Amino acid sequence: MAQRRTNGSKLLMTVLCVVAACRAVPVTDLLDRASQRSDRLHSLSTMLTQELKMPEMAPLCLTISAAFSVQVVTNSPSRLQDSHFPPIGRVIMPRPAMCHTSSLQTPNDKEQALQVSESDLLSLARSLLRAWVDPLLVLSSSANTLPHPAQNSISNKIQELQEHSKSLGDGLNVLSGKMGPAAQTMSLLPYRGGNDLGQDKISKLINFQFLLSCLRRDSHKIDSFLKVLRCRAARMQPEMC
Amino acid sequence: MMKKFGEVILLLLLLLLFFVPHAEGTRYSLPGKPALTRCRSPEKETFTCWWEPGSDGGLPTTYALYYRKENSEMVYECPDYHTAGKNSCFFNKNDTSIWVNYNITVVASNALGSTFSDPVDIDVVYIVKPNPPEKVAVTVMEDKGWPFLRVSWEPPHKADTRSGWITLIYELRVKLDGENEWEMHLAGQQKMFNIFSLRSGGRYLVQVRCKPDHGFWSEWSSASHIKVPDYFHRERSVWILITVFFAFIFLIVSWCIHINSHSLKHCILPPVPGPKIRGFDKQLLKNGKSEDIFSALVVSDFPPTSSSNYEDLLVEYLEVYIPEEQELILEESKDLHDGCLKPKGSTFDSDSGRGSCDSHTLLMDKCGEAKDDEQQTDRDGSQTGSEAQRQQAAWEQEALTYAHEDMISPDMSSGRVKTWPSVFSPLPQYSLSPLSQPSSLETAKQHCLSDSLFPPASLSSYLTQPGQSTKEALRSSYSDFCSSNKQPHLLHPQPDARHHLQAHSDVNISSIGHKEAPAGLQLPTVQSTEYVEVHTVNEDDMVLLHPVPSGHSHGKGCLQMHQGEDYSKVNGVDKNNVLLLQRDVIEEQVDMCPCENQDMNGATESCCTSAQKSIPCIHTTLPVQEEKAVNGYVDTATMFPLPIH
Repeated sequence: MAQRRTNGSKLLMTVLCVVAACRAVPVTDLLDRASQRSDRLHSLSTMLTQELKMPEMAPLCLTISAAFSVQVVTNSPSRLQDSHFPPIGRVIMPRPAMCHTSSLQTPNDKEQALQVSESDLLSLARSLLRAWVDPLLVLSSSANTLPHPAQNSISNKIQELQEHSKSLGDGLNVLSGKMGPAAQTMSLLPYRGGNDLGQDKISKLINFQFLLSCLRRDSHKIDSFLKVLRCRAARMQPEMC
Repeated sequence: MMKKFGEVILLLLLLLLFFVPHAEGTRYSLPGKPALTRCRSPEKETFTCWWEPGSDGGLPTTYALYYRKENSEMVYECPDYHTAGKNSCFFNKNDTSIWVNYNITVVASNALGSTFSDPVDIDVVYIVKPNPPEKVAVTVMEDKGWPFLRVSWEPPHKADTRSGWITLIYELRVKLDGENEWEMHLAGQQKMFNIFSLRSGGRYLVQVRCKPDHGFWSEWSSASHIKVPDYFHRERSVWILITVFFAFIFLIVSWCIHINSHSLKHCILPPVPGPKIRGFDKQLLKNGKSEDIFSALVVSDFPPTSSSNYEDLLVEYLEVYIPEEQELILEESKDLHDGCLKPKGSTFDSDSGRGSCDSHTLLMDKCGEAKDDEQQTDRDGSQTGSEAQRQQAAWEQEALTYAHEDMISPDMSSGRVKTWPSVFSPLPQYSLSPLSQPSSLETAKQHCLSDSLFPPASLSSYLTQPGQSTKEALRSSYSDFCSSNKQPHLLHPQPDARHHLQAHSDVNISSIGHKEAPAGLQLPTVQSTEYVEVHTVNEDDMVLLHPVPSGHSHGKGCLQMHQGEDYSKVNGVDKNNVLLLQRDVIEEQVDMCPCENQDMNGATESCCTSAQKSIPCIHTTLPVQEEKAVNGYVDTATMFPLPIH
């Protein structure tokens, strides 16, 4: 009987110790890991957009009629003339404002961003991340049949994107649990693009590219928010920033 | 009328206006299309765009930049054309929005019109290129005596890394002053870096640059110079260690070589193969008949059992024709041979001269003269045939003279004959020389058995017995004498030399040499007279003898296929002190070359200068019979492969 008690108390002690050890993971570490993940996420999406902007698109552009107002989304900075889309051809490209996440209010400059609280920042990040789960599925399924020469590489990257997105989401969920109830709130941003990107080859490609551009921006937002959070949480460790 | 006039003037003015530009030669046009070259944001808060103007069309052109944000249709003009320089537009913080697409267009206008550039869409977050890092400081620090560089810097002051708005990663590069290659180091997010492995006393340049997490690399910061102090003493100890190490290695290697010097010597310089076995016929060996081979080695008469045999075998005298120079040498050593020589008075040789024991001195003189004559004749002409003729004549001359002188000075031979007896070994296997030797002028050697060939002491053992003037016997075998080492010429006796000898009548040897052989003697036939030729006389008064092939001209060259008879073997000496020669048939090629007898001790080697065939060199070493070697016998048998009896 006494032995049972000692055994029970020992078990309890070990459980407490484990819990305490688990709780000992600092938030800064978690944020650091989260920001690394989001960094990788953004890199992948940038690579994808660049891979899609291949010369093969040029003949496609030529076939697009000029009736629609078009915007050539050249996200390549600095080399603005370095567009794979010839100026003569205008591509029917949905505007970035037409991203399904554009309704989410995010800071537009640094001052605004620095004024946002940590929980709000985290909530924004989580919402954005959550909004892309479904579109990534659509992208993934479309990538298998994408009429593009780099289709295999694109498909792999999207696969990786999905994995990172999932793990980041889980991590952010843990973080939000540590940062209070305000961090738990999330905005819903449903994706209404349907399961199909398009019927014909051209529209498929265009929609694919458009989605990727939206993803690129959103992943950058997530990354920026998390890095700001990381810096704020590591006031004692300025080398983090 | 006034109206008309006014109209005309107006028309003229218009025409003027129209034509004047053409008259001047300039054309005004719309401005060329400008193009936006780049836009850049140093800190993700402001940004600047630059454009490239097109042609101005000849008129003053103005440029304007218009932009539109993605959410609205409002078109704004560039707020600041000056801050960033010419052809630029600077967007300050108030005008910059991130995560918003800007649609920018540049318009060039002149008096004639305006031209629009292609629109460009940009997002500020994607065009970030920060300024270079600032306050780059490099210091030398020490780590346990080894110096290293510590580089520290600060982010560009505009970039707000403190709040985490922009995250920078750094990279630095180092190089020695004067070199071309930079050493790159990625420093990550840290603002300090250590560089090790420095060259003592080197001068280094360090540069740093940075990049936002998703952006472009900045320019390199200005180079910082630093000089590393000398730590040469460390290097010196290293050199000492290296020296000691190599010295140790060297010692080991030399010791190994010393241990194995013997085997190494054998490897590098393999020993010269020894001389052939006398009496060992290679041809037979190749044929494979062992009995014949070994029977050839067996000397039936060896060792000499009775003194009489010995006496018979021993040849006392040989006619030697030596040049004049050699006479002096011979004279010097004559006293040595006194004891060895038997009194010549014992026998008169009917031979008139050359082989005469009694007239040794005279003979020598005559030999020398004849030699000289021959020498001269040799020098004159290179034709051995003619020389032979001359020699023949000389020989005849001498023979005649000797015939007279034989009687005159029989005693003098005692001092001179030394050479001849020693030439012949008691062994029958000794052959003076294969008589079937081809001989060119150079290669024809005369085997002269002279005391000069042998050390004086050696003669004693040989000169004991044959008191007779066996010189005659020998004489017939020799037809030629070497005049000198350099010019061994062949005194090739003509096949009819026999006649000369006979003519002198005191040549018992001739009977030996030429006629039908008495018992045991194999005399060369008249037709195939074999003569031993004096090969050469070296400085030690040693006359080398070569058998001369009968009937073969001298001029055939060194190598000659000869199928003649070899009478170079001394079978024995008969009671009349006649040298009995053995008749052998030699079928080998013998390469008689003008080589000099080098070895006093009897090992004579004639190197063949014109060796072409199987027997390149003829070694006349006397391997087995050392006493012969000591006595200076020229073992002609070893010079040429002996035929098997």
